[in-house]
Amino acid sequence: MVYIVSWDEFVDRSVQLFKADPESTRYVVKYRHCDGKLVLKVTDNKECLKFKTDQAQEARKMEKLNNIFFTLMARGPDVDLSEVNGKEQMETQSVKKGSGRKQ
Amino acid sequence: MHRPPNKFSPPGGFRRADHQIPYLLCDSREKKSLQCLRICKEYSSEVLLQLDPFLNELTSMFEKSKEKGSVWVTLKRSSLKSKLQKRKLSSAGESIEYRCLIRATDAKKTISTSVGAKDHQRFQASYATILKAHMTALKKRERKDRKKSTEAEKKQGTSTTTKPKKL
Repeated sequence: MVYIVSWDEFVDRSVQLFKADPESTRYVVKYRHCDGKLVLKVTDNKECLKFKTDQAQEARKMEKLNNIFFTLMARGPDVDLSEVNGKEQMETQSVKKGSGRKQ
Repeated sequence: MHRPPNKFSPPGGFRRADHQIPYLLCDSREKKSLQCLRICKEYSSEVLLQLDPFLNELTSMFEKSKEKGSVWVTLKRSSLKSKLQKRKLSSAGESIEYRCLIRATDAKKTISTSVGAKDHQRFQASYATILKAHMTALKKRERKDRKKSTEAEKKQGTSTTTKPKKL
């Protein structure tokens, strides 16, 4: 159980993990207000991917990941992820922190 | 054959029924899983709620855990059917409807709800609102301020950091 440093790597690997085994993969979020810490875990009971942070901007990214997982789990692992709001924009455009999409 | 009584044997000696109990459990898989479920429920009663009451309870969980404690939220794909029901449905040729099972706990109580394909977007929006409202203890990092502070350090010529930062 190693903490993944890169957010994008965490997202890619966890989506891959889910698509490989949608029946047993689960996504867990743990939040501690007193410590200001957020930990995300995706596991299929064989492999475990974890991501921890104390940054507010990572929480905003986590919301997008939540949307991805909601869509995957409710509709099925074969759903086209570009339907998820913001996911396609993230993939096609280079992500620049602090600047808006429309310039 | 009589076994000498010790402190682990039941008082009054072994009865035939006591030996049979494990075999009764293994008799049908359904009985075994129901037994396990009952045991699990005794230890942690998980309350299955509708979407809106779940969101309300989740909000109160976050509020209660502000001083100390954690809130865990788990998302999992599930059909909410037992293995037997799934086998019956697949043999009948019917498609199994999957839902997204959402569980939340604060180590004292557990609440859960399930969201289908139709209502997941509405739930997703409300859920995001709750998280945004409560995850306020996380650090906010402003890059512009950092840029200004490092530029000011360079101008002054005093650098407390040993690593030079590339901007």
